[in-house]
Amino acid sequence: MAQRGITEAKMVSHRTARVQAGVLLACGLMALNVRANDPKPTPDNTIHVELSELVKPQSFARALKFWVADVTDRSGNAQPMLVLKARNGIFLDRTPAEITKEGLTNCLKSADMLAVDRDSADFILTVYLFRFGLRDSSGMDYFGKVELAVMVKNPKTGKSQQVAAAGTSIANVALRKKNLQKNVLENINTAFGDALRNLLRGEKLRDAVTALDVPAADKTPAARTAPAAAETPAVQE
Amino acid sequence: MTMRLIRTAMAVAVAVLAAALPALAKDSEAQFKSVEAKHFTKAEGVELSPEFADYLYAELRAELTKAKLFGQVIGEGEVVDAADAPASIIIDGNITEYKKGNAVKDALVGFTAGWRSLKVDTTIKRRSDQSVIVSPQIHVRASPRWKDKVLAKEAAHQIVKELKQALKDKGASK
Repeated sequence: MAQRGITEAKMVSHRTARVQAGVLLACGLMALNVRANDPKPTPDNTIHVELSELVKPQSFARALKFWVADVTDRSGNAQPMLVLKARNGIFLDRTPAEITKEGLTNCLKSADMLAVDRDSADFILTVYLFRFGLRDSSGMDYFGKVELAVMVKNPKTGKSQQVAAAGTSIANVALRKKNLQKNVLENINTAFGDALRNLLRGEKLRDAVTALDVPAADKTPAARTAPAAAETPAVQE
Repeated sequence: MTMRLIRTAMAVAVAVLAAALPALAKDSEAQFKSVEAKHFTKAEGVELSPEFADYLYAELRAELTKAKLFGQVIGEGEVVDAADAPASIIIDGNITEYKKGNAVKDALVGFTAGWRSLKVDTTIKRRSDQSVIVSPQIHVRASPRWKDKVLAKEAAHQIVKELKQALKDKGASK
């Protein structure tokens, strides 16, 4: 009886070992599978983000020229070109910084507000990009968001002000990969256009420009008026 | 005799439809030049992430675009021509209450017990004179098994629905 008991115990042990080995193998295969499923950019899953309609900037009191100096990506995203990881991924064809610089430059150029070079510009714009792409949504749609801050600098006075702008967009989810890509592209395009619109037609930019814009012609009268104002009380006395 | 009656009835039906079509088309036309949605503020004690307010703002703008009541849905803080200001409105709001719900209660009791709840005080005013058109109080609920952002989607839908109703009532009273 005792011998039989030992034999049975051995059989159980073998079975457990096999199950353990099976579980280990499955885990190893899953890990390999996950690594193999890391999306890679291909022409099929790459989208080209471009403004469908150029944003017309607001008009200022006098004709001003802007120069887009630099666009810095401050999103802290290790893969800035990966928009969506699920379903073999969706990638951008250029970095968000490049897309933003091109979009902003084109908008200014279309309204004849882009300076030919840095030296001739009334204002120099340095853009910091905080978000570009999809954000967490309710799960029923895609939530696109572009968030940026622009340092508006008057090169003559050296003074600068920061202007924040953001653009959002909501797009429907899709089941087919083709529609998914189309919806995501549309969503990012809209959010990007919205952010540029928010910047170029925003009250914040208007206020910043009004505060920083000190044309050379205005400086002299301002300096002249000061003594005049000081003289007036003296006359009254 | 019966055929003539049917023909007459059909002619009347076509005439009625033809008369109603321009009215329907007029309804779908933009009633306002522009609408500006603002980021809703949160009352003290409301534990919601800033991302939620962002999402609510985006959903609200999407719903406003869908409503086709406005020529343009502009972003927060964008300039509007002085001439367009009387025909432009601003939507502002304050999230006054948020209850995150109880998943256990929802599973055990059911019948909406333990659901998430969101209350929003909304103000819709004219841009030119800041006169309040309507100020609906929105209350939406959803299962705690769903994401909290579902509440934002539903709230945005409700706000636009209330706005549409208010504009319809005002139009009827004129």
